[in-house]
Amino acid sequence: MHFPNILLLSLIAFSAVLIGVLVARPALTMTRGGKILAFMVLFLLPLLCMAMGFTSEFQRATSTSFCLSCHTMESHGRSLYVDDPTYLAAAHFQNHRVPADEACYTCHTNYAMFGGFKAKLNGLHHVYMQYLGKPHNPIRLYEPYNNRECLHCHQGARSFEEGAVHTADPDLLPAVKANKLSCLSSGCHDVVHNADQLSKVKFWKGAN
Amino acid sequence: MAKTLRLEKRLRLAGILVILGLLVEGVCLLRAGPLAFIFLVTVGGFLCAAGVVVYLYSLVSAGEATPGP
Repeated sequence: MHFPNILLLSLIAFSAVLIGVLVARPALTMTRGGKILAFMVLFLLPLLCMAMGFTSEFQRATSTSFCLSCHTMESHGRSLYVDDPTYLAAAHFQNHRVPADEACYTCHTNYAMFGGFKAKLNGLHHVYMQYLGKPHNPIRLYEPYNNRECLHCHQGARSFEEGAVHTADPDLLPAVKANKLSCLSSGCHDVVHNADQLSKVKFWKGAN
Repeated sequence: MAKTLRLEKRLRLAGILVILGLLVEGVCLLRAGPLAFIFLVTVGGFLCAAGVVVYLYSLVSAGEATPGP
């Protein structure tokens, strides 16, 4: 367990004990000190604990293990270990082009305004589908993958701007940057997860 | 006397709601996964918010009961 969570659990325990004292002896609030204590433990501390708890959970919800804890995502999780550099997601994950512990979130969040918020809302929808709905089989994106998410990291990088294939046609990069030519579905980087073909591939055992 | 008792009752209720909310939060923090996340945001958040609202209401109602200068 991480230190901030230990700290938060200690704060929760401390708050609960103080509230317990007030519940057992509400007459304490008749004094000035008791009123201040009540304000602290029945208003400030619960708000602080909830704010810290929400922040911690939202942060944890961006982790790769959190995304892959749903059964539906199992094959996508396995696809990150495909031993084939043409598999885009696997190549990014294995070579740490994206943070390995936030791999899903890094590529599937929206880098426009309110992108993080939208990702959280979509996440709630995923949870709903997991427990109360019926997930699509195979699962699909809500909307076509926007090049903006790729360009968030790659734009300006030498390998991207000066790559032989990217510069062979002078119209290619402007079209990619304007999202008129998809990085993924235009036939260039079209092997991404391919989760339905994992029975035919070799897997990387992972770094130890 | 009756007013004091009512205030104490509301403070007790607020305290119990907040304690329950914090317990839910604590348990959810110990467990990882989507269900813990949902429980924390909905049940934990609701119980704590309800406790705080009851506490604030008890303050307001106690203030109303006190005659002004």
